[in-house]
Amino acid sequence: MKVVLFVVVILVILALLAIMSRNRLVRANISVDEAFAQIDVQLKRRSDLIPNLVETVKGYAAHESGTLEAIVAARAKSTQATTFADVAAADGQLTQALRGLLAVTENYPDLKASSNFLALQEELSSTENKVSFARQFYNDNVRTLNSAIKTFPSSLFVKSAGVSPRPFYEVDDPQDRKAPQVKF
Amino acid sequence: MDFRKLQSANKLKSSELLFGMALLVGVVIWALMTYFGKTGIGVVPFAVGIALLSVWGSYWTSDKIVLTMTGAKLVTESENKQLYDLVTEVCIAAGLPVPKIAIVEDNAPNAFATGRDPNHAVIAFTTGILRVMDREELQGVTAHEMAHVANRDTLVSAIAATTAGALALLSDFMMRIMIFGGGNRRDNNNNDQNPIALIASLIVLILAPLAALLLRLAISRKREALADVTAVAFTRNPTGLRRALEVLAADSTVVHQRSTAVAHIWIESPLDGSKTSQLFSTHPTLASRIATLKAMEGN
Repeated sequence: MKVVLFVVVILVILALLAIMSRNRLVRANISVDEAFAQIDVQLKRRSDLIPNLVETVKGYAAHESGTLEAIVAARAKSTQATTFADVAAADGQLTQALRGLLAVTENYPDLKASSNFLALQEELSSTENKVSFARQFYNDNVRTLNSAIKTFPSSLFVKSAGVSPRPFYEVDDPQDRKAPQVKF
Repeated sequence: MDFRKLQSANKLKSSELLFGMALLVGVVIWALMTYFGKTGIGVVPFAVGIALLSVWGSYWTSDKIVLTMTGAKLVTESENKQLYDLVTEVCIAAGLPVPKIAIVEDNAPNAFATGRDPNHAVIAFTTGILRVMDREELQGVTAHEMAHVANRDTLVSAIAATTAGALALLSDFMMRIMIFGGGNRRDNNNNDQNPIALIASLIVLILAPLAALLLRLAISRKREALADVTAVAFTRNPTGLRRALEVLAADSTVVHQRSTAVAHIWIESPLDGSKTSQLFSTHPTLASRIATLKAMEGN
């Protein structure tokens, strides 16, 4: 009698552990999806800012048509991107193009003084931070999922939970971590 | 230094301290039983109940109470776009909902966050801190405050406060019983008790409130250290918070509200740190916090 009870208790504990491990995988997988949705939201926000930005800069810095065209092209690419790799690649290009634009605006004091541009610049640098934090949060969640997939005991339930390792979201950007300096 | 390792080390340490508090409760109950016999146990539910009642309400409505106590005014996105953006950025990094944002009219640079869970969180800045800090520093401060929200530090401090409160009440009850007619009962119950156990339990009951207070403060300091590390996990930028703490260290003005009731929630202790010893402080010294952040900047 005692032995039976003992076995039952052990089985119940094992079953609970199994459920917890499997749930851990499922939850980690959902978190990755949610984190990717957040990247998407921030990329869209950034895309929406660009037409207004381009118009404003055009008025003051007509010579920079090359830089502006690069931005418009990168934006078009990013709105069309559907696959994970394309989204990341287009994101990287647009990030670089925008940084190029903000660098050349240094040469146009009138533009920098315009209140419209100042508001845009704040909006843009904040959106840039949001995009970069959304990427970081996504990658942290991928890291959690991928290590749960590899480590025991959750590794036993990878098939039944229907999850697989996810790729990191990487953009080609050497100074990704550098937050822009805007004085309050 | 790796922030992930530091994070788990700090979490472990504060769990150990909470466990220490649970242990202390156990020792006090043993002391009560030794001194007063089984009847002594009867006061335990009363002490815990009163402590729970007094802490639970302020925990549950902490966001509202603190706004009233500090006179913080809520601001909307359109009223202060930059601040709203800044907080939103950190929330994206932390994967948290955007909390209510408030501003306290006060020249001393300081900030706090509270709320029973991330959905009821409020973060507040003094007008002083918004004036003296640049965006990178404010981002560090915001990340520290959102780290408190993410780590559920309002809950942790409510648990610590409840336990410390219950122990203080137990000790108080015991003193009253001893002074006003506990003598007879002691004679009846404790004839077979060994005198050393009796003296030990008496000492435990007298010292328990002080020990609980020290543990509670130690937990508060550990959670502050943890919030610094978690903040770095959010921003990946120890420099911002380190520079912010240096600004606070250089600043000599102190928040006008010197109430100890809300001292633990500010990023920098509003009570004058130099006069109280480190053992009785709610925060680690700014110097040690800066040193830890510098070590994290190293890699």
